[in-house]
Amino acid sequence: MPTATKGVLVQCDPSIRALILQIDSKAPGIVLDELDETHLLIKQDQVMNVKNELNKLLSKNIYNPFDEQ
Amino acid sequence: MTGRVDYRKLAGHDDSDDEFRYEDDFLKDDDLDRDPSFGTRRKPKRKAPPSSTDGNASKKTKAKATVEILKQRLSDDEFADEDMITLTPQLPDGYVPDVVSQAFGAADFSYLKLKPDHFSRPIWISPKDGRIILESFSPLAEQAQDFLITIAEPISRPSHIHEYKITVYSLYAAVSVGVQTEDIILVLNRLSKVPVHQEIISFIREATVSYGKVKLVLKHNRYFVESTQADILQMLLKDEVIGPLRTLSSENTVASNGLISLAAPTGELENGGKEPQKSEDIFASIIGKRSEEDEEDDLDAVHSFEIANESVEAVKKRCHEIDYPVLEEYDFRNDERNPILDIDLKPSTQIRPYQEKSLSKMFGNGRARSGIIVLPCGAGKTLVGITAACTIKKSVIVLCTSSVSVMQWRQQFLQWCTIQHENVAVFTSENKEMFTSDSGLVVSTYSMVANTRNRSHDSQKVMDFLTSREWGFIILDEVHVVPAAMFRRVVTTIAAHAKLGLTATLVREDDKIGDLNFLIGPKLYEANWMDLAQKGHIANVQCAEVWCPMTSEFYQEYLRESARKRMLLYIMNPTKFQACQFLIHFHEKRGDKIIVFSDNVYALQEYALKLGKPFIYGSTPQQERMKILQNFQHNDQVNTIFLSKVGDTSIDLPEATCLIQISSHYGSRRQEAQRLGRILRAKRRNDEGFNAFFYSLVSKDTQEMYYSTKRQAFLVDQGYAFKVITHLNGMEQLPNLAYASPKERRELLQQVLLKNEDAAGVEIGDDVDTNFISNERRQKYEQSQATRSAGSLASIAGGEDMAYVEYSKNKNKELREHNPIIQKMYYQKQKK
Repeated sequence: MPTATKGVLVQCDPSIRALILQIDSKAPGIVLDELDETHLLIKQDQVMNVKNELNKLLSKNIYNPFDEQ
Repeated sequence: MTGRVDYRKLAGHDDSDDEFRYEDDFLKDDDLDRDPSFGTRRKPKRKAPPSSTDGNASKKTKAKATVEILKQRLSDDEFADEDMITLTPQLPDGYVPDVVSQAFGAADFSYLKLKPDHFSRPIWISPKDGRIILESFSPLAEQAQDFLITIAEPISRPSHIHEYKITVYSLYAAVSVGVQTEDIILVLNRLSKVPVHQEIISFIREATVSYGKVKLVLKHNRYFVESTQADILQMLLKDEVIGPLRTLSSENTVASNGLISLAAPTGELENGGKEPQKSEDIFASIIGKRSEEDEEDDLDAVHSFEIANESVEAVKKRCHEIDYPVLEEYDFRNDERNPILDIDLKPSTQIRPYQEKSLSKMFGNGRARSGIIVLPCGAGKTLVGITAACTIKKSVIVLCTSSVSVMQWRQQFLQWCTIQHENVAVFTSENKEMFTSDSGLVVSTYSMVANTRNRSHDSQKVMDFLTSREWGFIILDEVHVVPAAMFRRVVTTIAAHAKLGLTATLVREDDKIGDLNFLIGPKLYEANWMDLAQKGHIANVQCAEVWCPMTSEFYQEYLRESARKRMLLYIMNPTKFQACQFLIHFHEKRGDKIIVFSDNVYALQEYALKLGKPFIYGSTPQQERMKILQNFQHNDQVNTIFLSKVGDTSIDLPEATCLIQISSHYGSRRQEAQRLGRILRAKRRNDEGFNAFFYSLVSKDTQEMYYSTKRQAFLVDQGYAFKVITHLNGMEQLPNLAYASPKERRELLQQVLLKNEDAAGVEIGDDVDTNFISNERRQKYEQSQATRSAGSLASIAGGEDMAYVEYSKNKNKELREHNPIIQKMYYQKQKK
């Protein structure tokens, strides 16, 4: 019997795609399918989780001058 | 006197300049221009006591006159509105925070009441920390700016809103140029949109009231703490820190009651009648300016006690803590003990107005004040140092960061002033010279002087020579880079009357900038970059940050690798390479001369070989360097060169008009500013509508983004705006675009991954970053480590058939050196 999983299509830069794949490799079960260079299909209930993780990872690369004061 | 610079003429010229006129209205720190005795400072014979008292009297009248002007200007807008304003130190009861006030947190000052005519006043003063926000579009801004720069430190100066901060040091500097406490408060209040807070007023009072009471004097190579008021010295001696630091020297100490012993002035000043006169002069002008009552003290004796050379800094620090900061000034015109050095600016030497202004802060009252002058790279810091030396006319010692800049300083001294060749000595690891006459100039590096390890016989001899002498003047180049400990050693081992620190970027990544205040002195002058660019002294620069997306292959590897290898990956990002290629192509077509900077030597070579451009890095032989640089300057076939870190400071290329940065030293703000400095002195800067370009290539979504923003912080504070370019139009259509196919990109990735981690490291060379790291670390860097490469045993042993093809030829080798005669004829024609 065929099963259906609700998924969300994510369109992103190649680098973000790589980041999502990395998140997936740590906690499997996020990415349903890798479509192409800039598209991914991920589970619907994981969207918030992915967003949070991405923010965390990307904020490491942002310099905030007020951090130092 | 042909070699004389006519300061008064220069000053007269400056008076036509708006900026200078405004300043005159506000302050009297321009004594340089008006002091009648100042113009004669190049005639050392005319320094008899009468002239100094004359100058003194006239100085006082001038001071009074200026205050009068100030008072008049201030009284014409009396605060009739004063009664309407209620001062509220705490949040008032009826205060209702509005919608946005939460965003400001503790810095919400919306409860402060505005003066009714606030729109015509240009500044805000934060009651918490003395920060001042200036609206630089206000009609009063230019005057306000000149005033603020005297009493506060500039923090950030973009085009519309400037930020300053009142600090203790800036107030000291203000007082030492003769601005009075009450005037500071009055003018601030006049300029401010809100009434100046009581806390700020009391802060200014506290900081300025005791300044200048205590002096630190260097006499006969020994340090004395001097004061006209014996009770202050007694107080200092009772202090638990300073008391024990006093050295008891038998001949001039009078132990009166066991605890306090003050030297009587007659016993102290063996030199006879001249010296008391001198000290009287000093005090009359410093203290007498402030209030009339102090004048009586001047006639009293000068009291002093001696402290050891090593404890100078501790005493200074302690004096500052107990609010009696010491004043360090050098009355060089009345110093007869140290022989005069025959040095003058050449008649052809021109000083720019801002250089003049910075020097006027240093020699404001006819004496040399120790401190730091901040000027952008390429704005002629060296000439400021040389002019200062020509003013003091005593033995000079110059300390810089590398042996290349030692030679540059020496050459500049010979070029700009009349100093004789035999009076100039160089002290580096290669050259150990001493001058034979009784006064002269020594140029050396910090590390040579601060060295504590065993020295060779020769260098020990020179060192003894340096430490045994009393120096009139010490110039400290690039003061911000020297570690505090090394600096301390330098300042304590060499006895100099006046110290001048020069720098372009008074920032340190380790926040030790405050130490410089004790070691050298306050910041005397800081130029406004934007202002200089507008006036054409430095080039207009368009700054841009180019975002290069990482290709997916590279990014996947990036996520997997260690921190150091990551660096290599984001530098070698193929998109970045393409962007670099595109920009070079674009600017070469426009006729620009391009410098590409890369801190990473591996990337430097890869880029340069692939693009077929000449490159210079640490291990490029001197002759090849000269050849490349000469070709870059004169040969229109060579428009692009690649430079590693060696090009940051020591290479001067006024031809360059475009700069591309592909890799850099982490988040170093100093390096960013220094690199920008390479194009600030562009020859073509005065052409109509000329713009120099500064590109910083950054790989997106990597650590490089973080560093890049951090690096820009300093330049942004100076008013530079970085445009972000996310896509270079037409890059894909560029013919011969490198790494256009996925196959090429994968090959590159393979190559990068095989590279040793050390390839990601920074280059070791004779520059500031490596001259000051500890010895062990340096050795670690320099040691060549084992290289690993994949291959079969047979191929390593040479058992396989192998053929070599050189496919990316080194462009360096192709550059020819022309015969000197052809060079002369050909290049000269080119210049025209």
